[in-house]
Formats: sequence, structure tokens, C-alpha cells
Amino acid sequence: MGNYQNMRATNHSVNGVNLKLLNAAIRFNALMLGLTGGTLAAVIVYVATHTSIARWGSNSSAYLELLAIFFPGYSVTSNGAWVGAFWAFVYAGTCSALSYRLYGRVLGTRIADVLLSTVPTENPVLKPSVLRLHGISLGVAIGAIAALGLFCSTAWLVMRGTADESFHAALFSNYIPGYSVSILGGLLGAVELFALVFLACLLLASVYNRIVEMRHKKP
Amino acid sequence: MNRPVRDHEILSAVFAKMDVPAMTVAMGVVCSLFLFLATTTLLLQAVPQDYPVGPHLESLAAYLPGYRVSWVGAVFGAFYGFLLGAVAGFAAAVYWNLTHYIALGMMLISSAELAD
Repeated sequence: MGNYQNMRATNHSVNGVNLKLLNAAIRFNALMLGLTGGTLAAVIVYVATHTSIARWGSNSSAYLELLAIFFPGYSVTSNGAWVGAFWAFVYAGTCSALSYRLYGRVLGTRIADVLLSTVPTENPVLKPSVLRLHGISLGVAIGAIAALGLFCSTAWLVMRGTADESFHAALFSNYIPGYSVSILGGLLGAVELFALVFLACLLLASVYNRIVEMRHKKP
Repeated sequence: MNRPVRDHEILSAVFAKMDVPAMTVAMGVVCSLFLFLATTTLLLQAVPQDYPVGPHLESLAAYLPGYRVSWVGAVFGAFYGFLLGAVAGFAAAVYWNLTHYIALGMMLISSAELAD
């Protein structure tokens, strides 16, 4: 965040256009990622619901039905699949958009680092450069949203008074030591999940950037 | 060391396209490792004898034929994880590029209308 604020201070006095443009850029790409993440999640929930129905028929409501705790109106039925797709779009779209906002803010003035080449192109819009990923910024952004998601989900289970019955959620403790369906457990789980997602994002960015450099390396 | 960000760099960053093969492989690797570690973590935990290990995770077998919470199953899981991650990465990269092209097309059309 410091990088972004640093740039805010620098660019306000030197050139206000950059900050305005950068803000617009972050907003635009947040919207694009929101649409991308939301649509993919909606498709996954819709397909999973129908696959479940096709495979198990009327007995298909075992685990997927648990989504109804977070997706009001959802059920493992044809109509429920649409409701699930809607909620998946809302949740995943919002989380994706927020992730990008945070990613852009953390990235700040290092935005040029995510481009394969910073040489001015004839037209950066019509002849786009290739995107690279900034692992640390990505890890902070997605990790924070994932951690917030886990904490809010846990808090919701506590608030609705079903924490003691939430033994499926409690299974997270197999992977996140110390996690439990309680406010304190949710906080601890959020911190650990942040660390795990951060590492996963570093790996993702590292593999992605390595392949991009290999594929676009000039002879 | 921070240097001033030039406008063309910001514009390039906004409209930079995602490398589809790179995202496909990267997501595949991450998901493969995720499912492998999810399985092996359960296997490494101490459980009473004759107690079922990972019955909930094993229900993935309904979607992923051959998958089990076992060491061989972990390898199957890694394979399926790569496959599913690769599909998700491919779809995300293609969709990301597509939304940018569509948004760009709409901007060009509206700017052309304004110019008229």
C-alpha cells in the first residue's frame, strides 16, 4: 500500500494524470476480473449441480446442498442450479474484483514490472503487451480475500447458531491446525489460510512468469 | 527504487493480454500440488486402526474415477488436479483476454460514435 501512497504523493505534484489513469486502470481491470471470476464460478456451480443430479438423481443432495447455508434458495435441482450460479457469480465476482483492487493498490508504481516489455509500443491498446504476474502483490491480494472469506464464513456459522453442528467446516482443521468453528478459530484459520494462499500465489506467479519469459524470449 | 510511471505503461498494463498456455500450465501445477498435498496430509495424520481415512475427500471419487485417499490415489489426484487446474487456467485466461477485447471494441465503437 505504501508504494501506492508514495506514488500518490509523487504524482500529485508532478503529474496528476498518472494517478487518475492508474485508478481508472485498476477499476477497469477489477471489473474485468470480477466478470471473469464470477462467470467461471457460476458455470462451475451450475455444472456441478447438474452433474450431481445426473449421477445420483433424487439422492444427489449430500454435500452440495451444504452450499444453501451461504446461497439462500439453493438446492440440488434444476432451478436450484440457476440460483447457485447466481450466488456464485455474486460471491466470486465480488471477491475477484476486490482481489484486483487490492492487487493494483499493492502493486502501485511497480505496475510496469508486470509487463513483459516496457518499450513504448506503437499502440498499447491495439497491440497489447504480455501480462506478467507480481507474486507478492498477488499473494497479498488473494490471500487477504481468502482469509476474509474464511473468517466471514466461520462467523456466519457462529452467528446462525449452528457452529456445534458444522462438523464439515470443522474438517478444515485437518489442513489448518488450530482452526475451529468459532470466532477465535476463524481468526487463527484466516491467518494460516493467508499464509498458504500467499505461498500458492508465489508458486503460480513464478511458474507463469517463467513460461511467459521462455515463450517470448527474443533470440 | 520507484520511478515515475509513464502513461503508456499504465495503458499497456491495462490491456496486456494474459498468456494462455502459461496460465494453463501454472494453474495446472498449483492445483495438482494442492490435491496431492490435500490427500497426503490426511495420510500422514495418525488415526486409530480400521478407522476410515478421509471419507469426505474420498467422495471426490464420484467425479474423479480412480481417485482414493491413498498414496496411489494421491498420484491420481495430482493428475486430475493438473487437468482441472489447466482447464480452469485456460478458461480464465481466454475469458480475461476476451472480456478485454469486447470492452475495447465497445470503447472504440462509442468513441467513433462520439467523433461522428
